[in-house]
Amino acid sequence: MNLASAAVLAAVLALVAGVAIAMRPRGASTVDFYLAGQRVGVVTNAWAICGDYFSAASFLGVAAAVYVSGLDGVWYAVGFAAGFVPVLLFVAAPLRRFGEFSIPDFLGRRLRSEHVRLVAVGVVQLIILSYLVPQAVGSGITWQLLVGQGIGGLSPYATGVVVSTAAVAGLVACGGMRGTTWTQAVQFLLLLAALCWLATAVLGAGFDYGGAVADLSTEPLANPTAGDRGWELATEQNRLDGAATASFGEPGARYGRLGQFALIITLIMGTAGLPHVLNRYFTSPTGTAARMTTVWVLGLAGLFYALAVMLGTAARAQIPAAVPAHPWLQELTVDGVLRVPEHALPVLGRIYGGDAGLGVVAAGALVAVMSTIAGLLLAAAASWGHDVYERHINPRATQRQAVWAGRSTTMVVAFAAAGLALAMRPESLTGLLPSIVATMVTWAFALAGSALTPVFLLAIWWRGTTAAGATAGMASGAVLAVAMFVAGIRLADPGLGELLMTPTLVAAPVATAVTVLVSRRTAPPRELERLWLTLHGTAADRHAERLAQLTIRSLSRRPSRPGPDLAQR
Amino acid sequence: MAREVDEHDTPAEVDATFRTIRRVAVGYFAVFLAAVTGVPALSLTLGWWSDGRLIGGMSPAFVMAAFGLYVFFFLIGLAAATLSTAVEARMLGGPAEPEDGTGRDGSP
Amino acid sequence: MRSGSRPLAGVLAAVWSLVYLVTQVLVDPPLGVGTTLLAGVALTCVLTLGYPSALRGPRGGRVSSRQPGPGGASSNRTIAAAAGRAMPLRSGLTPDAARRTAQLLRPLLGGDAVAITDREQVLAFVGPGADHHRVGGQPPTKLTARVIARARTMVVRHRAGIGCPVPDCPLQTAVVAPLAIGQRVVGTLKVYRVHADPPARDLVEGMAGILSLHLELAELDRERNLAADARLDALRAQINPHFLFNILNTIASKARTDPEEARQLLLRLSDFFRYAVRQDGHFAEFAQEYFFVRTYLSLEQARYGDRLRVRYDIDPQVLTTHVPVLTIQPLVENAIKHGLANKVEAGTIHLKARVDPLTRTTSIQVADDGVGIPADVLAQITAGESSASGGVGLRNISQRLDTLFGERYALHIQSTAGSGTVVDLRIPLR
Repeated sequence: MNLASAAVLAAVLALVAGVAIAMRPRGASTVDFYLAGQRVGVVTNAWAICGDYFSAASFLGVAAAVYVSGLDGVWYAVGFAAGFVPVLLFVAAPLRRFGEFSIPDFLGRRLRSEHVRLVAVGVVQLIILSYLVPQAVGSGITWQLLVGQGIGGLSPYATGVVVSTAAVAGLVACGGMRGTTWTQAVQFLLLLAALCWLATAVLGAGFDYGGAVADLSTEPLANPTAGDRGWELATEQNRLDGAATASFGEPGARYGRLGQFALIITLIMGTAGLPHVLNRYFTSPTGTAARMTTVWVLGLAGLFYALAVMLGTAARAQIPAAVPAHPWLQELTVDGVLRVPEHALPVLGRIYGGDAGLGVVAAGALVAVMSTIAGLLLAAAASWGHDVYERHINPRATQRQAVWAGRSTTMVVAFAAAGLALAMRPESLTGLLPSIVATMVTWAFALAGSALTPVFLLAIWWRGTTAAGATAGMASGAVLAVAMFVAGIRLADPGLGELLMTPTLVAAPVATAVTVLVSRRTAPPRELERLWLTLHGTAADRHAERLAQLTIRSLSRRPSRPGPDLAQR
Repeated sequence: MAREVDEHDTPAEVDATFRTIRRVAVGYFAVFLAAVTGVPALSLTLGWWSDGRLIGGMSPAFVMAAFGLYVFFFLIGLAAATLSTAVEARMLGGPAEPEDGTGRDGSP
Repeated sequence: MRSGSRPLAGVLAAVWSLVYLVTQVLVDPPLGVGTTLLAGVALTCVLTLGYPSALRGPRGGRVSSRQPGPGGASSNRTIAAAAGRAMPLRSGLTPDAARRTAQLLRPLLGGDAVAITDREQVLAFVGPGADHHRVGGQPPTKLTARVIARARTMVVRHRAGIGCPVPDCPLQTAVVAPLAIGQRVVGTLKVYRVHADPPARDLVEGMAGILSLHLELAELDRERNLAADARLDALRAQINPHFLFNILNTIASKARTDPEEARQLLLRLSDFFRYAVRQDGHFAEFAQEYFFVRTYLSLEQARYGDRLRVRYDIDPQVLTTHVPVLTIQPLVENAIKHGLANKVEAGTIHLKARVDPLTRTTSIQVADDGVGIPADVLAQITAGESSASGGVGLRNISQRLDTLFGERYALHIQSTAGSGTVVDLRIPLR
């Protein structure tokens, strides 16, 4: 790395840190810590949700998946984007109208049970952890590529993991949610800018998307594997049609018949159960605003993933030709194909933009990682601090104590994630699991989609859901999902193993069935009518809108006479 | 005539709105699911879906997965959101604000 | 809902062109014919079945007001307009209509100036001489008075006969024909010429005859609307006494135990009456009628408590259609008064509203599981006799529906004594 990329990186990080500091809350109220101190607008919230959602998996991972598996990798992009449609249809507005701090809080109050709350906290923490690890891995990989050397005797990968996790944990612990909303929005915009810049650079250099896909599809798809004689290229087998070889523009490079669907369904169901994304809905002013925010998110996500897919294709097409001209590519590639597919975008940035380009892309990746880690840590702090600490461990906690509980949770979770990321060494896993970051994120989605989403949907749309049913459903979904993907890893078989690692197709229906069966035998909460009114009635929203209208009207009348309506009351 | 009082919904109204919105949501979800599973399913059943070459070198499957589906998601999200908001506005809440001079329709 | 057929046809054409373009033109090995047809047909079916799901945005949607407009100036259109419904006089003998008619007919009548008067004054004058033959003034000659008195056409062949006091009035000859509704003369049609040759008498008489017919139809229309309005007012007057009495009692009794609910009920009651007395014409958006019904039912539920349960089943497409005003609530009121009031256990009212875009029908069903209507009373009601206790509201509704839709509606009542009643209303979709 040289001065240019370091300068760019430093500038970006300084900007982010500056916004975070400028937005820090005065005073340590829990509400301020967990939710934005003021309500945020529809578009700003959409940017913030995108900032939370687009992690290393979206930025680096999708392009890596496309690079490695062609069309089968594009399903990641489709799945990530599609996940917000069920959120919009089923979750956004009712969740906001019920208005609590976090998912376990919502379930606990909706079903009037502390057991549900605690089980939900457990599941949520598990999801957060499994989502954090790939972020740390992604930042380690980026640091490795960007800086190339470690600090204090650690390997470059380890340095990346530690630095990013520590930085974000520190920011969150000091800043809280209010800082994070605007920070998230700014970070997302930076991310989008980096991606757009790269796309423009690639297109400007004369990249022909259609032609590239056609060319790539004429030859069989081959990826590096570590063999006895070192790294060598091995063609991918076509899982759909055993006789043929896999090709870039056609499905089958990674998933068999059922696998194609399993991945998409896993990702779609998973988004509705992601705690850090759903927590953002509580900062919308009304249920309708929450819905509209999701529409914006769908638009932005579509744009983002379309660009990411294009860049992955561009990487595959252009990097082999660029190897002779750029000697530093020699050690990263085997016969023109990258060993670590997550390097695809940073390498493209360096090819088209020199060292500054590398800096921009790396900054984008790190920003994506940091924003997601921040959101996740905050969600972890919210669920642990508010749901467990304030209600059970220390019911008479003061504000300060509650906030400190939140801060310590942040630190603990960050350490755990960093530790797991360090224990995992990506090179050894790459051969086994191509596009490691995207795959690991899929685990988090699988867990969310199997354990949380079915119960969530039933709690919102079916009156008969009971606390016992929800607990049973969450537990069965989580256990089944974890069991299936541990089995999938153990099995290490490309066909069945892949399938087991996307367990939502099986685990979610099971969880639904269990919830329904158990709920039938138990009694729903007693205040169901009142809860239902809050959940599906718009009285509070209309009240808020009317107050807003009156305020605007009285403000606009102020020069002539002071608010007559207010004076009359 | 603004009502400067708290808003209130009765259980029957909320139940009616809930059922209608649920119907809308399930309907749109069915369409969405059909599209999202249809694109890979067509790869498995229809040869042309992977073999045809559209816009240069991309097969229809690739075009859908790389652009078409995102546009579809945005449109379906927008449609569902506006419909749900419109239904909620009409089925819950107070009377419509009186508009000047409109609403006259006396001719059969 | 506006007529959706044309946009649907447009969209289908666009979809087929798109399918053709994508599968045959842009793609290198084009898709086989069979599969293309299948895809096109599937898309067509989906669109046809799903198109009514397009609902316009939140409240504040446009309300259409159709202006009767006569349109262009070519003589073919004018002739058609003279015979058809676009004749301005169809809305009555008013100065504005008279002026437009005169302008419309001037090229046809073979004259230079055309005037229309009623019994007292000139309503319209177009052409040379308009500067001193003023609209609104008395007809300056006794010619008009004579035509009205005699109810016969008169031809004037020289200036003196016209009797215009202004010396340099260009008009020389005229034909004046009466406009009559039945035997009663209500005005005249006057056609002037600046030449010595008078206009064709038969032409003017024939045109006056056509205009008279239009005036007669206009009067019939007015009478019909007055009758419908009268029935609507009668219905509005009916709503009050018992209901008001009962609900005020309920509110009074709740005022001490649950003042918040009493306040909500009073607000609902005021909403109820505000809607009931509004005078906005014969049709209302279904969402408004539904608001009225649910306000009414929330008041009744406060009175009956758990004995009255309500279940709604409303299609989202129905919310923007237009239905006759004050039609649904009386049906629901009947269901409560006669079905559930005498029932000992709890009863349920089901209100279902659907739209069928292919047959262009709005269908509304009110069902209750009350005591039902005995068969003989049911026969009386369907025969249209008013003595049956549930009959008055229903008769009022069916008379208004007759006025508004003629034959194109259906109101069915089905009931079994002891197990409930279903009232089914089908009206054309607007």
